[in-house]
Amino acid sequence: MTADWNLSRAFQRVALPAAVAATIAVLVVVFYYPVGHVLAAAVRDGGRLTIKPIRAVLTDPFYTGVAHHLFVDPFGVPAGIADWIAAGFPSVRLGLFGFTAYQAALSTVASVLLGLPGAYVLARYEFRGRRTIRSLTLVPFVLPSILVAVGFRAMFSRRGFANDLLGVGGLGPIELLGTLQIIVIAHAFYNAPLVTRLVATAWEGVDRRQVESARSLGASRFRAFLDVVLPALLPAILTGAVLTFVFTLMSFPIVLTLGGLDLATVEVWIYARVQSLALQEAATLATLETFLSLSFIYVYLRFENRQVTTRGAGQSLSRERLSIGWRTLVDPRRLAIAGYAVVVAVVIVGPLVSLLVESVTDPSGQFTTAYYEFLLARQSSGAVGTVRPLPAVINSLVFGAGTLLLAIPMGTVVAIVATRGGRGSRLAEAILTAPLAVSGIVVGIGLLLTFVFGTTVAGHRLVVIGPVAIVFAHAAAAYPFVTRNVAPALGGLDPRLREVARSLGATRLRALVEIELPLVAPALLAGAAFAFAISIGEFDSTVLLAEGVESYTMPVALERYVGTRSLGPNLGPATAMGTVLLAVTGLSFVVIDRLGGRWEP
Amino acid sequence: MRRRTFLKTAGAGSVVALAGCTGGDDQNGTTTTGDSEQTLTVATYSSFTGEDTAGNYLKSAFEDEHDDVTVEFAVPENGLNQYVLQKQQGSDVSADMYVGLNTAELVRAETQLDAELFLESRSDLDRADAINSDLEIDPEGRAVAYDTGYISLVYDEDEVDPPETFDDLLDPAYENALITQNAQQSDPGRAFLLWTIANRGANEYLDYWQGLDDNGVQILSDWEPAYNAYLDGEAPMVVSYSTDQVYYHGPDVDMSRHQVGFIEDQGYANPEAMARFADSDVADLALAFMEFVLQPEHQAEIAVRNVQFPAVEDADPGDEFSQYAYEPPETVTHTYEELQGNVDEWIDQWARQIVG
Repeated sequence: MTADWNLSRAFQRVALPAAVAATIAVLVVVFYYPVGHVLAAAVRDGGRLTIKPIRAVLTDPFYTGVAHHLFVDPFGVPAGIADWIAAGFPSVRLGLFGFTAYQAALSTVASVLLGLPGAYVLARYEFRGRRTIRSLTLVPFVLPSILVAVGFRAMFSRRGFANDLLGVGGLGPIELLGTLQIIVIAHAFYNAPLVTRLVATAWEGVDRRQVESARSLGASRFRAFLDVVLPALLPAILTGAVLTFVFTLMSFPIVLTLGGLDLATVEVWIYARVQSLALQEAATLATLETFLSLSFIYVYLRFENRQVTTRGAGQSLSRERLSIGWRTLVDPRRLAIAGYAVVVAVVIVGPLVSLLVESVTDPSGQFTTAYYEFLLARQSSGAVGTVRPLPAVINSLVFGAGTLLLAIPMGTVVAIVATRGGRGSRLAEAILTAPLAVSGIVVGIGLLLTFVFGTTVAGHRLVVIGPVAIVFAHAAAAYPFVTRNVAPALGGLDPRLREVARSLGATRLRALVEIELPLVAPALLAGAAFAFAISIGEFDSTVLLAEGVESYTMPVALERYVGTRSLGPNLGPATAMGTVLLAVTGLSFVVIDRLGGRWEP
Repeated sequence: MRRRTFLKTAGAGSVVALAGCTGGDDQNGTTTTGDSEQTLTVATYSSFTGEDTAGNYLKSAFEDEHDDVTVEFAVPENGLNQYVLQKQQGSDVSADMYVGLNTAELVRAETQLDAELFLESRSDLDRADAINSDLEIDPEGRAVAYDTGYISLVYDEDEVDPPETFDDLLDPAYENALITQNAQQSDPGRAFLLWTIANRGANEYLDYWQGLDDNGVQILSDWEPAYNAYLDGEAPMVVSYSTDQVYYHGPDVDMSRHQVGFIEDQGYANPEAMARFADSDVADLALAFMEFVLQPEHQAEIAVRNVQFPAVEDADPGDEFSQYAYEPPETVTHTYEELQGNVDEWIDQWARQIVG
């Protein structure tokens, strides 16, 4: 770094607080204001504050199940529990919120279990294509649910590939579609790669010397893992778990496309309420849902705060070669990895590959290029309102790049506040993480009611739509991922590094830019990949803020190809566009990692 | 559109692309200014516009007939709700008319708003009397039907016999046999639910659905996922449209999986209507557009391109369409008055029962 540090020290002193203020200003404008506009309806009735709507939801057994007793008759709860025990623990009604949390918890466990071995393999073994696979981990994240459903049906339906495989082994057939299991697996498809990416980054940051010291002091391999490696991984594992829980708590389209209405989540209800313009009920449900997510995030952040592990600028652990000749076939660990690879092939790679196959297969099972020709025909069409694929690709990339430019600084300054601030800084971070925890449907309707329709500022009607608005909305949604990657890494840095720099006369800003940020470069890079993935996959806000077909992104274009009158319920063109989406996104991830990798220590 | 035609069109498109031309420049929306020039902004759903659609056909045909008129489309993600919310917020409605309304949406707009969102049109339309009287959805003449679909079953004749009555669907023979759509978010799903209400009555329909649920009905999010699950063999019947074979016919297509079944010899009519916004500055032009849409030759074009039946009695969509699009022996639908004050409650109670 050759920045000119002769800049006025006064400037350097204000730079950080100014960046924090700018971040908060952006969030207030593009997130808190529109969302608050909608959610306020939950506690307001004709200008007066009220708890009626929230009480109505909490006391309705449909929403809260057995927990509604807590709100209807709190004093009767102990007696109720006694009766329940006396009756021999019969199953209890979960209610919509209970079921939503239950499926989210199951999905979280499944995602962590599926994701962790992947992190282990990526961090500890060397093999051909390792870096590329690591770059591509987040690809499933950007895939629209309607295409995930296509891939999953190809894999898991009665005639699907998984059943063919089981049939070979004399097992099955299994009926997964329409069950809770398939939803949990689909959630793992989306979120296990997230766990893998977070944990692999942390694992690569473990200081080799600390492990070696432990070993030289007589610790067994396992002991060294427990005492040195695991504590360093725990924040990342838990971050992955918390993010997965929060996402799956708000899961919406995938639940109804693969599972069916009897497995509905709270988000399904929010959508239905917005559709019938019952905005107060929608706001009430969304407020409770957000409260649940944020409490969860807050509890986690408090915990993370106590998990301080100091790390310096050490070298990462050396990697073993995955392939060791014929002995690969008898080594138990490598065999287990092979078994894991089969699971990944079925659950994650399988649906993706099925999608590619579907994009060149017509309904009678013959090879066809018609769907790609459809995309070309759209591209060359001059008809009004035609959604053309190439501008969508370009828009997605431009918005993604813009999002990176905004979200990385925003996420980093929030991470600094969260790790350095005094009391209440974790609460502040939890509140600043809200973009993760608010229903996309509510964000959408909030943007509609404020910016899209126009809001009155100093007597002028101000309408804010178009590309710039889209980038800001994406950045607000994406920056918490940068924070969640960077904060644990910053928190884990040895504070003496900074103190030495400061005592040698460096300003706070210079110590940050020259000492600390380079040390957390891998975490910044992972955060950038997440931010890009969020931007590419974003649908709810993009479609509202787009000025017309000219500012559509890839997911929006894809959704338009699903609803093509001339083709009927034919998902062919959508699968072709989905393949384009996957290719463009995958390539971008590789480029981001290769470019960003230059700054890795 | 038929699959073969699609392939032909797509092929031609790719040739054009390779030649580096951008065909159809004349169709580009040009924004021009001038005293005599007018723009008509038509709000609709997204699959009504774009290449080869009814919307784009109407635009060019209407512009050909009216010099100095430009038709523009707006396709808000929230459909009619966009304009109901605009009106609620006190901002001007940003379109001149809406194409693609259904009765339930009209009821909702009326319930949500104190002010009038739409103008009355029917009494000023010469062609109004040609409209099939079953499709008159609005007693106040604001919304005028321009086409209709009939909700029916599509089934695989190798797997099941078509159910003749709603009672049949409760039979063990139809266990796990039916896929339908969520009435909270899908048009055919809502129509099918309303059909069961028409059949069983508002007091009994929940019991009936309990029976369907016990018999393993699958309720997926929307038409495409439901239909594709059906094509993947997940169940032998799906709630869809009686125009199914318009998409699927020809020598290479296995027609056994595209049989159309009318329960109780009925189909539930789901008319699509158009209406003028009260805030429009070009209300007369919008009225002229409505009159244009109802002309027999345009009705035929809309039917073929939108894969729906014409709303008027005297349109002929051609042999190929008529051969593969089936009309039910008897039509069922709810009137505006029947839905008013009820439809949201019916759907909510239904969804609560399925989930609960």
